[in-house]
Amino acid sequence: MMPRRNSVWIVLAAAAVLIFMNAPTVVVVLASFTKTTYLTVPPKGWTLHWFAEVLGDDGYLRAIGTSLWLACAATILSLIFGTMVSYALHHRMVPGREAILSLVMAPLVFPAVVIGVALLQFVSLMGLRGNTLILVLAHVLITLPYVVRSAMASLVGINPQIEEAAQVLGARSFTAFRLVTLPLLKPGLMAGCVFSFVTSLDNVPVTIFLLTPRQSTLPVKIYAAVDQGVDPSIAAASTLLIAGAAVALIIAQWRTSLTRFF
Amino acid sequence: MSARRISGLWLIAPVTVLLVVGFLAPTAIMGMLSLRNYSGMSGIGDSWTLENYIGVITDPFYLTIIGRTLLLGVIVTALCLLLAFPLALFILRSGPKVQTASILLVIFPLLCNIVVRSFGWMVLLAPRGIINEALIGAGLIAHPLPLMYDLTGVTIGLVQIFLPFMVLLLIPALQNIPADVEAAALILKASRLRTFFTITLPLALPGILTGSILVFVLSISALVTPRMLGGPTYRVMATQIYEEFMTNLNWPGGAALAFVLTVIALALIWGANRIGNRLTRGISGGNS
Repeated sequence: MMPRRNSVWIVLAAAAVLIFMNAPTVVVVLASFTKTTYLTVPPKGWTLHWFAEVLGDDGYLRAIGTSLWLACAATILSLIFGTMVSYALHHRMVPGREAILSLVMAPLVFPAVVIGVALLQFVSLMGLRGNTLILVLAHVLITLPYVVRSAMASLVGINPQIEEAAQVLGARSFTAFRLVTLPLLKPGLMAGCVFSFVTSLDNVPVTIFLLTPRQSTLPVKIYAAVDQGVDPSIAAASTLLIAGAAVALIIAQWRTSLTRFF
Repeated sequence: MSARRISGLWLIAPVTVLLVVGFLAPTAIMGMLSLRNYSGMSGIGDSWTLENYIGVITDPFYLTIIGRTLLLGVIVTALCLLLAFPLALFILRSGPKVQTASILLVIFPLLCNIVVRSFGWMVLLAPRGIINEALIGAGLIAHPLPLMYDLTGVTIGLVQIFLPFMVLLLIPALQNIPADVEAAALILKASRLRTFFTITLPLALPGILTGSILVFVLSISALVTPRMLGGPTYRVMATQIYEEFMTNLNWPGGAALAFVLTVIALALIWGANRIGNRLTRGISGGNS
C-alpha cells in the first residue's frame, strides 16, 4: 500500500485504540502499589507491601512455582515433539500430511473449554484427576500448534541440499540435522517457543478442569481469589504476571525482532 | 518399508500418541457421554438417548444462552473491526520507529494474561470502580452506571482481549493491496471515502473475513472473561458448560452443549475457508 500520510483523525483514533488496549494492564500495575486496602488509581501513596504479601504467601508461591515448571516442561516437550513432527511432515516422510497437520492445529480452533471438559471426564474415568503428567501433556497439546506453525514456516526457507551435503560428507542424519538444519531453524523456533511458553503460563480454560482443589497455577489462583473478594494483593500478583509478559516481549523483540513478522 | 518411511513414523509417533490419547479419545468419549440419559436423582444412566441435544435446542433457558452468546460474538466482532481498521491503517502509514512501537503496544496486551486483563476491567468498570467513582466525583452522575455483570462489561472485556488478533491480521491484508490501485482511483477523482469503500475494503476482504471469523469463534468460546465480567448469573455457552460440569454435575447435558458450541465454531471456520478460497480465486482471476 502507498505510504500515504496519516490524517489527524487516524492518528487520534489509533492513539485512543492503543490506550484502550493497554488500559486494564496499566490500571492493575498502578493499583498494586497503593497504600490503601482497596484498589484505587492513581494509587494513594506508594508501597511494596502487597508484593511482600503475595511473595510471603505459601499458596501464591506454590502457584507461581507450578505455573513456571509447567510452562517450562510443556514448552520443552512441545519444541522437541513439534520439531520432530514438522520435519517429518515437511519432507513428506509419512502419508496423510494434511490430516496430521490439521489434527495438530485442531486445539487452536476447538473451543478451549470443550478440550477442558473432554479431558476432565477422560481423566476422571481413568482415575487420573490431578495427575501432573496429564497436566503437562494437556499443555503440550495446546502449545504444540504454535511450535509446529513456526517450525513449518522456517523449514520452508531452508535449502534441503545443505543437509544432504552434510550427509554426503559423512555426517549421520541426526548429526546433519543437529549441526546444519537446527541452527537455521533457531530464530523461527524462538518465536514458537515464546508463544508456547506464554500460552501455557496463561492458560485457564483447560487447566482449571484438570486441577484438584489443592493444586493451582498463578492465573487460576488469581481467578479464584477474585471470586472471594478483591484487594490490592490480587493486583500485585497480576503485576508479577504482567512483568513476566513484558520480559517475554523484550526477549522476543531482542532475539528475533518479533515486529518483523507482522 | 523404506528406511525413510520408518524414521518418519518414529518422528511423528509421540505427537500421534498424544493426539489420540489427549484429544481424539476424550472427544469421542464425550460424544458418547452426551448421548447418555441423565436424571438429577440417579445421575448418568446406561441407555442411549438424544434428549440432551433436544433439551439444548428446545429449552428456552438454553436457547436464551445460545442466542446471547451468538449476539455477543457478532457485537464483539463488529467492534473489533471498527477499532482495528484505523489502527492498522495508522501502523501501515507510519515510519519504522512509530511502526515498531505501536506493534509492540498491540502485542503486549496479547501476552498479558486474560485473567489479569479481565481483572483490570473489573477494577475499572465495577459499581464502585474507577470509572464510576470518577464520574460521580465529577458530579456527572448520581448513581453508578451498570457497566458490569451484563452485556456491556463482557463486550468491553472481550473486544479488548481479541482486538490484537484483528489488528495483526488486518495489517498484512491491507499491506498486500497494490499501491497503484488506490492511486489510480484517486487520480480518477474518486473521493478518499469512495476509494476506501470501493477499492481498499473489497481488496482487504479476505483478511477481514479471516480476522472476523477468528474473533467470533474465540468470543463465543471464551470462558474466563464472561465469568469475571458477567458474574455468576449472566451466562454464556462456555460458562454454562462449566456450570454443568463443575456445579450441576450434569455431565451428559454439559457434553451436549459443548458439542453444539464446537459444531457452531467448526462450521463457521469451514464455511469461511470456502468463501475465502472463492474470494481469493475471484481476485486473482480478475487480474489475469
